[in-house]
Amino acid sequence: MFTILTARSVGFSLSDLIENLTRTNPVIEGMLNPDWGQIWSDRTRPRFFETLQLAVIGTVTGGAAALPLALWSTKVGNSNSALRLVVRSFNNVVRSIPDLLWALIWVSAIGIGVLPGLLALFFFTIAVVSKLTFDILDGIDMGPIEAADASGATTTQRLRTSVVPQILPAYTSFVLYGFELNLRASAVLGLVGAGGIGQRIEFFRAQGRWEELWGVVFLFFIIVVIVEFISVRLRRRLV
Amino acid sequence: MTAAMPAPQLPSKPFDWPKLIWWTLTAALVGWALWGLDAKWSRLLDAPGDLWTLARLMFRDMDLGETGRLIGEMWESISIAWMGTIIAAIFAIPLSFVAAENLVPKPVAIFVRQIFNVLRAIPEIILALAFIPVFGLSPMAGVMAIGVGSIGSLGKLFYELIEAIDDSPIEAADAVGATPLQRLRWGVIPQVLPELTSLVMYRFEINIRASAVLGLVGAGGIGSTLAQSLEFKQWEVAGLALIIVVIGTIAVDAVSGIIRRRIVAGPPGTTGSDLTDDLPPEAMAAAESRVF
Repeated sequence: MFTILTARSVGFSLSDLIENLTRTNPVIEGMLNPDWGQIWSDRTRPRFFETLQLAVIGTVTGGAAALPLALWSTKVGNSNSALRLVVRSFNNVVRSIPDLLWALIWVSAIGIGVLPGLLALFFFTIAVVSKLTFDILDGIDMGPIEAADASGATTTQRLRTSVVPQILPAYTSFVLYGFELNLRASAVLGLVGAGGIGQRIEFFRAQGRWEELWGVVFLFFIIVVIVEFISVRLRRRLV
Repeated sequence: MTAAMPAPQLPSKPFDWPKLIWWTLTAALVGWALWGLDAKWSRLLDAPGDLWTLARLMFRDMDLGETGRLIGEMWESISIAWMGTIIAAIFAIPLSFVAAENLVPKPVAIFVRQIFNVLRAIPEIILALAFIPVFGLSPMAGVMAIGVGSIGSLGKLFYELIEAIDDSPIEAADAVGATPLQRLRWGVIPQVLPELTSLVMYRFEINIRASAVLGLVGAGGIGSTLAQSLEFKQWEVAGLALIIVVIGTIAVDAVSGIIRRRIVAGPPGTTGSDLTDDLPPEAMAAAESRVF
């Protein structure tokens, strides 16, 4: 039912679909003969490194900010229920805005460049890591927390000694996962003018140079797959 | 007279070399990134103020006359996400059967998984760039981008689910001489169907977020209005569009969350599916985490 309703809304038609896919066009031709050398060319390489650097800094800063935000949105970390609600609502709103939309907002606020891209990844990482950490905090063992309370710990001491050690491996794994997502996201930030390799992708698209575009896209995502492979191994060892 | 107790001699902690190496590597990476990035750091101080100015421009006097049109566009975004998710599920379900190690030989499974990995790595928006010249600036380009992009992640979640099933129904099917297709129909599908549906709903939630931005490149939905109003500084429209995106996303999450819980837990009053307990925590965490 819902499917039919939505299908009408987007003008879905199977015959059009097949007809369009079988027609030859420059995009598909470019996909079949990508220009592999492009990513090392003098103008693309700096943007490529910029993308990696954006992902690293965005993950580290966003991951660091996400831990307190996750802790403050639970009962053990924040006894003030009004403040807890504020932090939770903040997390929810941050989470409902997609990565590219963050980039668009920051580009509008402070102009194009690398900094809006960095801020976008910062908020995107907060969204991912704080939600996952929050879910883990639901299921932690209350024993150490009671022990800390019994010996008269302050909230900070309680968090430091009995909550954080329990979630640290999972949290680290979530930050690594955030890095995988950020690497993928940082490739498209450039489409809205927020730095990184996306600028080159957008440039080739505007010029219709599809061989170069696909060369850059394929090589970059081969790197993403490799990073993901390593990161998944690391995460399995952590948890 | 009491003699002073000698301080207890604690053995010194063994030095944690791996930890040191990991910290050094991380620090080096961050240092390289900080040093290499030409981000005009001085502007960072102005950023909160600039965001505040933008928020005031966007939310002070919104153009409420546009509400109807924008809600229509958000509906289009939701439609794109749903159609894309359905297309992805249609391809991912059969593919995931041949990616599960308990159903097919290992080399076949590993090969199919590589297809999933590659599809998962490419963001929807890049796929949309590829599909726009094929389908034109239409929602269909968005549907195809979401559909193709979701095959990888849905397939991965599905085969992890299938690998966690109970083998005895399959053995029972084999024992009564089932063909491979019958074996799948009676031994596998009944076990995974509730969780399969639930994972499709998860993916729908993620795709809402993706489809909201697909309009940036012209692939339909509310994103194009959002991008254009920001670009041409029509703040009163941009603010309203942003609010509709946020409310629409949170509303779809809430509805989909209720449906998912109902699917996995069964009708009220029953004990619910026993599969959830058997699902490896890794797979559940992965499913949860895909909400981004």
